[in-house]
Amino acid sequence: MAMSRLGQRPTEVIKRSVTLHFRWNGRSFSGFEGDTVASALAASGQQVFSRSLKYHRPRGILTADYWDPNLMVQVGDDPNVRAGHRLLEEGMDVRAQNVWPSLRFDLKAANSLVGRFLSAGFYYKTFMRPRWLWPSYERVLSAFGPGGRVDIDSPDRYHDKRYTHPDVVVAGAGPAGIEAALAASKAGARVLLVEHEHSVGGHLRYSTRAAEQVALGKLRGTLEASDVEVLTDSTVTGRYEDNWLGIVQRNHPIAVERLIKARAKMLVVAPGLIERPYVFEGNDRPGVITSAAARRLINLWGVKPGERAVVFSANDEGDAAADLRDAGVDVAAVIDGRKGHRINSTRGSRRAVEGVVADGVRIDADLLVVAAGWTAPTSLLNMAGDRPAYDRYAARFFPSNPPDSVLATGGLSGDGTLDELRTHGAATGRLAAARALSVAHRIQARTARARAVGGPEPDWAADDRLPLRRDFHPELFRSDTHGMIDFSEDVGSKDLLAAAREGYDSVELAKRYTTATMGSSQGKLETVNTVAVLAEARGENIGEVGTTVWRPPYAPVSLGALAGRVFEPVRVSPIQPWHEANGVRTILAGQWVRPDHYGDPAAEVRNARSNVGIIDVTPLGKLDLRGPDIPKLLNLLYTNKWSNLAVGKVRYGMMCGEDGVVLDDGVTGRLGEDHYMMTTTSSGAGVVWEWVENWLQTERPDWRVHVTPVTSAYASINVAGPKSRRLVGRVVRDVDLSPEGFAYMEVRSATVAGVAGCFMWRIGFTGDLSYELHVPAGHGMHVWEALIEAGADLGVGPFGMEGQRIMRLEKGHFIVGQDTDGLTMAPSTGLSRLIRLDKENFVGRPELGWSGSRRLPMIVAIQPDHPQTVPDEGCQIVRGDTNEILGRITSSRMSPTLRRSICLGQVEPELAIGGSRVTVLLASGDRIGATVMGHHAHFDPAGERLRG
Amino acid sequence: MARSLGQLRHRPPRYSAAALAWRGLRGHTWPRVWRDPELKTSYDAVVVGGGVHGLATAYYLARNHDITDVAVLDKAYLGSGGSGRNTAIIRANYLTPAGVAFYGRSLQLYNSMAVDLNINVMFSERGHLTLAHTDGALRTMRWRAEVNKLGGVDSSVIGPGEIKKIVPSLDTSDRPRYPILGALYHPPGGIVRHDAVVWGYARAADHLGVEMHQRTEVLDVLCSGGEGPGGKGAGGRVTGVRTNRGDISTPVVINCTAGWASLVSAMAGVRLPIVTHPLQAAVTEPVKMFLPAVVVSGSLHVYVSQTSRGELVFGASVDPVATYSVRGSSEFTEELAGHVLQLMPGISQMRLLRQWAGLCDMTPDYSPVMGFTPVEGFLVDVGWGTYGFKAGPVSGEQMAEVVATGRTPELIEPFALSRFNTGNLVGEKGAAAVGH
Amino acid sequence: MLLVPCPNCGPRNSADLRYGGESHARPDPATASPHEWRAYLYLRHNPAGWLRETWYCRSGCRRWFALERNTATNEFRDPPLPGDKRGGAA
Repeated sequence: MAMSRLGQRPTEVIKRSVTLHFRWNGRSFSGFEGDTVASALAASGQQVFSRSLKYHRPRGILTADYWDPNLMVQVGDDPNVRAGHRLLEEGMDVRAQNVWPSLRFDLKAANSLVGRFLSAGFYYKTFMRPRWLWPSYERVLSAFGPGGRVDIDSPDRYHDKRYTHPDVVVAGAGPAGIEAALAASKAGARVLLVEHEHSVGGHLRYSTRAAEQVALGKLRGTLEASDVEVLTDSTVTGRYEDNWLGIVQRNHPIAVERLIKARAKMLVVAPGLIERPYVFEGNDRPGVITSAAARRLINLWGVKPGERAVVFSANDEGDAAADLRDAGVDVAAVIDGRKGHRINSTRGSRRAVEGVVADGVRIDADLLVVAAGWTAPTSLLNMAGDRPAYDRYAARFFPSNPPDSVLATGGLSGDGTLDELRTHGAATGRLAAARALSVAHRIQARTARARAVGGPEPDWAADDRLPLRRDFHPELFRSDTHGMIDFSEDVGSKDLLAAAREGYDSVELAKRYTTATMGSSQGKLETVNTVAVLAEARGENIGEVGTTVWRPPYAPVSLGALAGRVFEPVRVSPIQPWHEANGVRTILAGQWVRPDHYGDPAAEVRNARSNVGIIDVTPLGKLDLRGPDIPKLLNLLYTNKWSNLAVGKVRYGMMCGEDGVVLDDGVTGRLGEDHYMMTTTSSGAGVVWEWVENWLQTERPDWRVHVTPVTSAYASINVAGPKSRRLVGRVVRDVDLSPEGFAYMEVRSATVAGVAGCFMWRIGFTGDLSYELHVPAGHGMHVWEALIEAGADLGVGPFGMEGQRIMRLEKGHFIVGQDTDGLTMAPSTGLSRLIRLDKENFVGRPELGWSGSRRLPMIVAIQPDHPQTVPDEGCQIVRGDTNEILGRITSSRMSPTLRRSICLGQVEPELAIGGSRVTVLLASGDRIGATVMGHHAHFDPAGERLRG
Repeated sequence: MARSLGQLRHRPPRYSAAALAWRGLRGHTWPRVWRDPELKTSYDAVVVGGGVHGLATAYYLARNHDITDVAVLDKAYLGSGGSGRNTAIIRANYLTPAGVAFYGRSLQLYNSMAVDLNINVMFSERGHLTLAHTDGALRTMRWRAEVNKLGGVDSSVIGPGEIKKIVPSLDTSDRPRYPILGALYHPPGGIVRHDAVVWGYARAADHLGVEMHQRTEVLDVLCSGGEGPGGKGAGGRVTGVRTNRGDISTPVVINCTAGWASLVSAMAGVRLPIVTHPLQAAVTEPVKMFLPAVVVSGSLHVYVSQTSRGELVFGASVDPVATYSVRGSSEFTEELAGHVLQLMPGISQMRLLRQWAGLCDMTPDYSPVMGFTPVEGFLVDVGWGTYGFKAGPVSGEQMAEVVATGRTPELIEPFALSRFNTGNLVGEKGAAAVGH
Repeated sequence: MLLVPCPNCGPRNSADLRYGGESHARPDPATASPHEWRAYLYLRHNPAGWLRETWYCRSGCRRWFALERNTATNEFRDPPLPGDKRGGAA
């Protein structure tokens, strides 16, 4: 048998005036605009499109649509393209997948000879011994894997996303769906109609009945004239909480695929029905197709599916005999499933049907068209929490109890004439529009600012739709022979029965054991037959066996579409352009991109220690606090005392969680009577802000404190080094900078380089005399440049994070999150003088009060014996030559100032005594000796430089 | 103590290539993997939860301790919870010595499982890479590597060049927003066929006389002598369980559930330090093998591996909002895809085929709760967060020992429920809180 | 994407808020025993059903508030509107 192109059809969607050229497995072919890849190939006489997963049996067209498991192909670098759906394009390079070396001569087809050993789950039962051989087995097994190839060097493609807030989304633009959309729109709702196929109309598109063609023409006309937004070649892929819908649009003019996220007030589910295959011997031989496939091939693309056909039909809809005859196909026999007639098997070569055995009689034919019933694609209802129920009379599943915000219509919810389906659709649309109005009103009423809008909430519209009837349909799943159930997974009815006999007899276990329903159509063709065979094995009915839960997405979505354009915000200080112009190497710190160094961090340190250095510390978290109760707040959140902080003074504080673990630290200064500035670590800024708000809002709502995050409102510059006073003096005229006039740990409002509204404080993270200037962000660059210019003769130079880290380590300051971890309690920092248990009721106090009886590790300064050896951060401190862990190195650097390696670490409390000897296990595996210092500061422990 | 094959309660057919060929030739099918016995009214021990943990516990009770009058109850089917929903990654490269020792033992048991249980669980020891995108993350990698080394677990810190050699599809340039600075490389890590692990333990336990009862839901834990209502709570002891199929008397109930751990424990009057969050996962359509190792990025909240069928299997962090609903979300797939494409920009045309969710019982210190509770006879093996599957074998082995000996083995001492009374939490939280 | 009924801003995507978890009474830190305190720190009821929990509307009104949600279905009870006299949740 070979398919071929027919003369012009009145319903066809191809444009015969436009010929498109493409390649199939390296050979040149052509088709017409409007063809799918599969229809073009079929019209050119191709009958084998793929090889089956396990047995490598040749496979041809089965359903001729998106869900056709036999039509997965590679197009260029795009794997797993659905040739039954993808439109032909000029120059396409199409290749068969899962074949080796070629579609025609597939050596793996030898598998079919050993098929009886490849029963379901066979791989669980072998290859256990010898163990060392398993990797080789594994490679062989994975070589048999299905699927196309990715090119890891594929170029970037443009993707995009869209958000929309329609009143009603209708999934499926068949006659019922179109009517629902039109009725909802007419009732005033904003409607989005989403159609999976390339054009609207559902099954009317490939109907040759005159009345249906007329109806389709009118529906299309009305739709075009309406306000309904129509998306074709688009799929509602998921229904999530509160009608949050994912929609993938595959035909966007610019984006390869676009993800649309819709918060719909109402969802109408109208996907129609999917024709399911029939299980019998040889049902996967090329030439066996569904009735919808036959009608689509003939009427949409003008493809003659065969020369001599047997038609098996169990419903009127599926009786394709007239269409076949109309296309010049000789219909050898019509077998009516409703009258108890059966297909037993097909006969023929591996590549084509040559005969059909029906009721025991062989009929010569090259085509078997099967209409055995329907699968109700209830996925979206499942995702909304509904468990569809099986109806034996109609031989399919129906919605049972979806939530109020989800309505079903069309073939999914029942049977009827075209008019009856349209009427049901329209009633569904009106109901959806009425309910959408109630939802809209409720959203308004629950929004405090909009509460006054609108009158009373409209009553929730009752569902008074006349239900569609359910027509009888025979339960036709498996004939009296065995055949294929899952075409993409190569799972047959025998496999399922064997699995059930082995005890994998619930639908979930059978699915997992045989992999039935886990392939490309995710059960849309296979689920009902799978359940039916299990029911047969268990002697139960289908309803008792139940189905697996349909999971999102309804149709596969590309990773590119899901990702969209990546929006990863980056924060930079206003001084960043200067850094970039001056050879900066940056470092990522959360969202911030910060200067790490400018080429030689050690030199930057030496300059800051001997002359003066400036560092951009804008990311430092800053909270502006106003109000009379700030001292109470600070007393609550910090472990030390804050009641007596005078105006103009700055104090360091450490914050703990309720479990006594160090949360953050920083300095807070008192700028005025009721005005403080709190700083946090750069990474802790957001967390601390929410933490402060939480305490103020939930535990102490009576306290009068107003918090404003001002981190990026100020550019912050630390000026450090022995000449920093001279440098600052050149840009600040309105503050007495003498040691007496502006002492260590004091804060002043100032005008800096002519910029008013600044404040500065004398603190010393670097351990040197230093001033931290906080200037309105818009003037940050100006002040920075003013400092560089004014300090030229003083040797001013910038330093980065690396320099600061070295200097703070020299000084022994710990960093929260580096030298502390998620279990480090405040006493471990060694700052016990800052933990005031005599203060009542601060956060963390209960645990800190009890912590005295616990063995807490301690943060200590450590110096390796060999001054040139710098252990990596993370190296472990061990007991002698054993593997017993006694602590770890948390920070380490070579100190340019001391010209030796210096560390901070956490050690067992017994070792936290100056002079203790410890062993550090280096990453190289060597063990070195080191000494615990008596204090954290490697450099200037007395703090003379700081206070100078 | 271990039982030999000669002691099996009923002799099962062994799996092997020869047996497969023999039955194939003769057209014989295989008998049931596990029996479907009547539910009795009394057992020596009842295991709640028919996942890897519960089945392994029952198996080791029978195999190592000759305690075979054991029922495993599951309200759905075997492996219906986390055991069938996880991403099947096996590794031992934890941060704390306690974690390394514990998961190291689990890795050993996974390695010999196919032979021990006579079923091919398809353990693919393909190597495991945890990427570092910040200097803080790199520091934690070094910390982990050093602790791993001391615990006898193979792991090391490697640079971008070596990463690229192992996984060519990763973008190791400095172009991405979060460039790859290095990785913790753990060669013994890999993936396994999770369902086969469930079935393997069920089959092996069944052969030793353990009963599996599916669709059997525990409605209450029966207690006496406790301080709470119904004799539940501290000071009480277990007398049985009430199920949808009737009451069972038993002196030992082991709560091996995930997702319902708080609810089952509450039935005995025991409160747990657990909040239940969904963890989502997704799988793509299959393509030919291109990703030879398991890749994890903590900063990007994603892990990915390629199955032998060719699908990419993805996971992420738990959902931020606690819920028992497993319906999943759109934002999960979007964030996942965004992050995966930052790591491997070349695969934007791969298509997501299916997403699902499971329930994770999160504890404050990212470590489980194992062993005794204030109610005598009520034991827990819970709080498995996102790391329960990889701990299944060792948890079963250790819990069986707890039941059989009445003592807590050293390997799981750090994970006792009492730590939430003393405040001595496990330092895996350290890893989670470090590196910002 | 869950729709969270912020009492001030109306229904908002959950991504706009921070989830604060089960709300539970804080014992008096001055008198609590270690046992009571650690039960407060670590133990949770974690019910499958109605739960009172805290949220922070970080992208909206920046208020912390408590809501009742059914953790089995993710359904919220209507929050009291600001200024409402009816007190707790409906």
